[in-house]
Amino acid sequence: MLDGVRQTGVNEWEVPVGYVPGMRVPGKFFLSESLASTLEPGAIQQLANVATMPGIIRHSLAMPDIHWGYGFPIGGVAAFSLDEGVISPGGVGFDINCGVRLLTTPLEKKDVSGRSDLIEELFRAVPTGVGGKSSLRMSSRNLDGMMIKGASWAVDAGYGTKRDLIRCEDGGYMKQADSHAVSAKAKQRGVPQGGTLGSGNHFLEMQVVSEIFDPCAAQVFGIRLGQICCMIHCGSRGLGHQVCTDHLKLLESATKKYHITLPDRQLACAPIMSPEGKDYFGAMAASANYAWANRQIITHSVRQVLAKMFRIDYEDMPLVYDVAHNVAKIEEHGVDGKRVKVCIHRKGATRAFGPESCELPDELKKIGQPVIIPGSMGTSSFVLRGTKTAMEKTFGSTCHGAGRIMSRTQAKKNLSGKEIMANLLKAGIIVRAHSDNAIADEAPEVYKPSDEVVKVVHDVGISRLVARLSPLGVIKG
Amino acid sequence: MSFEEISHTADVKIRARALTLNALFTDAFLALMQVMYGTDRNEGIIKEIRIESDNIESLLCDFLSEVLFIADVEGLVFSRADIAIYGLHLTAVLNGESFDPLRHSSGTEVKGISYSGLVIQKDANGYMLDILFDV
Repeated sequence: MLDGVRQTGVNEWEVPVGYVPGMRVPGKFFLSESLASTLEPGAIQQLANVATMPGIIRHSLAMPDIHWGYGFPIGGVAAFSLDEGVISPGGVGFDINCGVRLLTTPLEKKDVSGRSDLIEELFRAVPTGVGGKSSLRMSSRNLDGMMIKGASWAVDAGYGTKRDLIRCEDGGYMKQADSHAVSAKAKQRGVPQGGTLGSGNHFLEMQVVSEIFDPCAAQVFGIRLGQICCMIHCGSRGLGHQVCTDHLKLLESATKKYHITLPDRQLACAPIMSPEGKDYFGAMAASANYAWANRQIITHSVRQVLAKMFRIDYEDMPLVYDVAHNVAKIEEHGVDGKRVKVCIHRKGATRAFGPESCELPDELKKIGQPVIIPGSMGTSSFVLRGTKTAMEKTFGSTCHGAGRIMSRTQAKKNLSGKEIMANLLKAGIIVRAHSDNAIADEAPEVYKPSDEVVKVVHDVGISRLVARLSPLGVIKG
Repeated sequence: MSFEEISHTADVKIRARALTLNALFTDAFLALMQVMYGTDRNEGIIKEIRIESDNIESLLCDFLSEVLFIADVEGLVFSRADIAIYGLHLTAVLNGESFDPLRHSSGTEVKGISYSGLVIQKDANGYMLDILFDV
């Protein structure tokens, strides 16, 4: 383990106050001994930097998929007091509400295994990659709808069912969205990209449920062994990227105005209740809603392809859940024995609310919310459930993915896209992308093993394993 | 043109060296275009942009963010920039072509230009830049 970091329990580590000057609280992260060698000093420096921000409560936290990002580390979680705390785009990222959803189907492995025609049809139906534009004709009124009502707008417009909304974090939209705080430039970027996947680590994957760990929770979530599912991973596209860029600049001025000292300009922030803080929060919520609508539109396209190809009913492909990975929210948590509203930032982390959380729909209250953790192209993805331990230890948060361990430059040097595709095909996984580069960039080898990452959160108890999903076919940006 | 991609786990980190600030900014611009659209990029369509910022690091971030915006909304891929910097004012004449999915899909979308780890330094040999693109 890195110098200056101390172990406080099994898989639990502390970065003491003083690791970097000005820390107000300690840093805390969750990592197994076997993953410790993957930890970068830059990530711990960023975790400690977050601890210097005004109004931070208890700890600057990081999940076991922690890695070096910008502003907050990836896997970073921090809660701030509404009175004394700040809000920062550095704690959310450029891809606001990058998130993931899982839908089930009545199909089985034999129906889709080796079906390259299915993957090709999905690749045609869902625009992907750099320059990918939507085939929808989006008006500015529609764009406003996406920003204000998110997935709920999409369902009203015919891109899904009312039941989908029950199975989205926050019902598929944040009510604090303020589309007036979204610049004309951001809106201009948002119009042609509704319903597009994007590039980088975004993907759409056909998977089979290959193992059930918790039959009771699986039944409540609507998952059964051998079932074919579809996982969709994407975010708020150019609209969210522009909102982050615009507000980063505005908040940099605010940082000076409110005399806040920071160790990294990317952590630019303002008091949550200041005009600048409220504007960012409103614009960020509007972008988060755009992302939920985006995933809902893509879901509709997938259902249409599957319904037509396999003659199954649209309604027989229900959503398990949709979670946000990059977001700031106002939530109520226990702090010093009292229920207190806080502003929580999750940057590459997933909400993992446990049983009896009042935010969950009745049907999930006994079990806790579904947590969806995507693996990499060749490795398993997982469904977990939120826990009371997460509410106590991590403000109801857990990991969001495997977490990278190899740089993109190294990946391209070591691995050719064609070889990776051929190896995956041998393992029964069909990959479709616009370029070989996109495949080499996101090869299974560049990530921590997803099994080990979820084992840590399961063992620590901040979420519990429900099911394993194995990949069969994937489209990449 | 003098830039290289430095190892970074999650994102794209670029290091550039140049004799002048104009050349340093041009390198950062070319790196951004290459990361997003690959190396097969032609000239033909001209766009002019003007930027003013509070400091030199912001000037570079604001310039590259504006390039990202124009490329995205106008569907353009640039191959050349003639940049002139006076104090904290920048004028750039960008030269490029329309996005062609067959030739320009080998890259990765850049989501934003980060201030984390952004360094612009002057020494006896000219200027040095480290910059991180979120992908």
